[in-house]
Amino acid sequence: MADLFALLVQSGNSLAAHTAVVTAAGNNIANANTPGYSRQIPTLVANPATEALGLAAVGTGVSLQGITQARDQFVERQLPNALGAQAFSQSQSDALAALHALDPDLQGGLTSTLGAFYSALQTWSQNPGDSALRQGVVGSAQALATSFQQTSSAVESARTGLDAAIAGKLNEVNIAAQKVADLNGQILIARTAGGQPNDLIDARQIAVDELATLTGGIPYDSGQGNVSIALPGGTALVSDTRAAVLSVAADATNDGHSKLRITRADGSGPVDWTGPPFGGTVGGLMGARDGALKTASSSVDQLAFDLGTAINTVHQAGFAMDGSPGLALFSLPVTSTGAASQIAVNATVAANPRLLAAATTVPAGSGDNRNVLALIATQRQALASGADPVATLQSITTTFGSSTAQAKALAEHDGAIANHLTTLRDAASGVSIDEEMINLTKAQRAYQAVSKVIEVSNSLLETLMNMR
Amino acid sequence: MRVTNRMMFEVAQRQTAAARDRSIDAQNQVATGVRVAHPGDDPTAAGVMVTQNVAIQRLDTIDKSIAQASSEVQVADGALQGVSTLIARAQQLAVQLGSDNYSAAERASGAQEIADISAQIGRLMNTQVAGRYIFGGNVDNTPPFDATGNYLGDTVVRQVEIAPGLLGNASVRGDQAVKGVGVTGGVDVFAVLSSLSTGLAANDGATVRASIDGLNQGTNQISAALTNAGTMLSAFENAQQIGSVAKEAAQKSLSNASEADIFEATSNLVQAQQSLESALAVTAKTFGLSLLDYLK
Repeated sequence: MADLFALLVQSGNSLAAHTAVVTAAGNNIANANTPGYSRQIPTLVANPATEALGLAAVGTGVSLQGITQARDQFVERQLPNALGAQAFSQSQSDALAALHALDPDLQGGLTSTLGAFYSALQTWSQNPGDSALRQGVVGSAQALATSFQQTSSAVESARTGLDAAIAGKLNEVNIAAQKVADLNGQILIARTAGGQPNDLIDARQIAVDELATLTGGIPYDSGQGNVSIALPGGTALVSDTRAAVLSVAADATNDGHSKLRITRADGSGPVDWTGPPFGGTVGGLMGARDGALKTASSSVDQLAFDLGTAINTVHQAGFAMDGSPGLALFSLPVTSTGAASQIAVNATVAANPRLLAAATTVPAGSGDNRNVLALIATQRQALASGADPVATLQSITTTFGSSTAQAKALAEHDGAIANHLTTLRDAASGVSIDEEMINLTKAQRAYQAVSKVIEVSNSLLETLMNMR
Repeated sequence: MRVTNRMMFEVAQRQTAAARDRSIDAQNQVATGVRVAHPGDDPTAAGVMVTQNVAIQRLDTIDKSIAQASSEVQVADGALQGVSTLIARAQQLAVQLGSDNYSAAERASGAQEIADISAQIGRLMNTQVAGRYIFGGNVDNTPPFDATGNYLGDTVVRQVEIAPGLLGNASVRGDQAVKGVGVTGGVDVFAVLSSLSTGLAANDGATVRASIDGLNQGTNQISAALTNAGTMLSAFENAQQIGSVAKEAAQKSLSNASEADIFEATSNLVQAQQSLESALAVTAKTFGLSLLDYLK
């Protein structure tokens, strides 16, 4: 049989339940802007009737069943891929857009110095014996060689800069991976103790998102509530409570640029990474370094080598003012590798412009310009690569530009997808202050009503006690 | 869709950032007039800029080369006109003094004038432009004719590039003009003048009259050289006109590829600014609406 004391106890429990609702709403409001926070939902359940009053079962109030998190598993499963893809294309786009050495209007760039070199030859052809014009040709050849060196250096600096960026990002990966592994352990302990460690789960989700953004690693449920992370190809970056460690080492087969190494989650290694390319920021940086930038670097090397060789061949077929056979105008390495960084004007010719070979025969005078005309003609002759020097430079510029534009377009596309999914996740897991204010008011009203019940119960008890 | 606070702030942040980015891009285009600064802005246009920049530079230099070559040929033309006038005077003297009505003294005086004419022709054929002897072929650093009229140059006609990949002649062969080398029935003008001078000094009417044919041939040779020079000048003029058109086309192509259309850029700027203003206004409005303001 229900009694008034039981009603007081029941009301007290109800107040506690509504206080929990207020607390949850307050916590949600406080974390409305906390990254990774998922709103918490207190679940109230009616206590079962324990006693019957006649035929009717009378309930025993309300209690807090638990506090759960609002999560959309469908969206959250898609998000790591989207974050990885966005980070991959964005980092690649940023890396390529930062290189200005191939800008078509760059002062002192390859376009202007190549044009200036041929213009100097053209002017020289008017008066091949003129020492000032000869000096002008030497100067323009030096400017062209310097431009090749600077372009090569800018591209290589960009690639080296990306090595440093990759190493920095791998540190972040290692920290986040260890964090996920540690949180797996803490969450397991909390759950074993019967708790629901929502804040730890949020913290793990932030670290998981970070790993997806950095590496394209995909999270999966590995049992017991643990989240493990698989790198491209399936190798575990995080396996339950253990994390792999990523590092870099110089790769002799890639001009000394860094290669990835991994100490696996089981502690074996480190070994060279032989799996598929990474996604995420690390993958994007490596893609830019070994893709468009490497192509640009080797193409500029090839152009420097082919152009230098073509000029040298013609120049060596001519004769200098002193009747000696023409020397190589440009010093070049044996192969195209590193040609752009090593090309220079032959020091002997630079020191004595009279050694420039303008004549096609041992000159009786200084007016023979036929070898100069042959040098000028190289501008329209196909190099070993199949196109003339200007068309080759045009191709290098267009190819690099296409890679940059493609990366930018992909970044916009992937960014739109990631933003959309992030918005969907926020819609499910984010906090609406309006909503929480309503919940707060609702709980407040319930609290006030229960207080009234206590007041009534108290009044009834008082009536009962005062009976004479 | 359930709208949450973080969603509102992040969407507002993305939208205003994107609107501001578009506005800055449009502002840069209007301020600089440049549409393509990086190859990634428009890869095809960047490639066109490379070729057209080099083409314009080259056409500029070719234009200067043609102007210089034209100047040289004009000087050569002037010198040849002078030679022609001198030979005409020699012809006149040969015809006049070939008549036996003239005395030995009068012919001796004529002999001196012919010797002077020969020396003047020698000087004209050693004309220099910017320190270069223009009638000696590739031998341009020493006089092509010595005091006795011997030719010391070579037989090369200098060439210059008058259009990309196209060479044009840019010198007159002095040996051909006054020595008759390579000319059918050609004569050595200096030898003819020497013979005439000798005939006049020796009061030998037959020798004097015999030189008239040689002088006629010399006149023909100089006329041919002048025609040759005229043809070159005409070719230079045509090449300059064609080069000017080609340069204009290259500049237009470069401009189309690299420069922003000012009307389009301004329109884009206005559009981007309006878009930014709208994004900011909507953001402010959205942030202003809260249940907190209505709960008492």
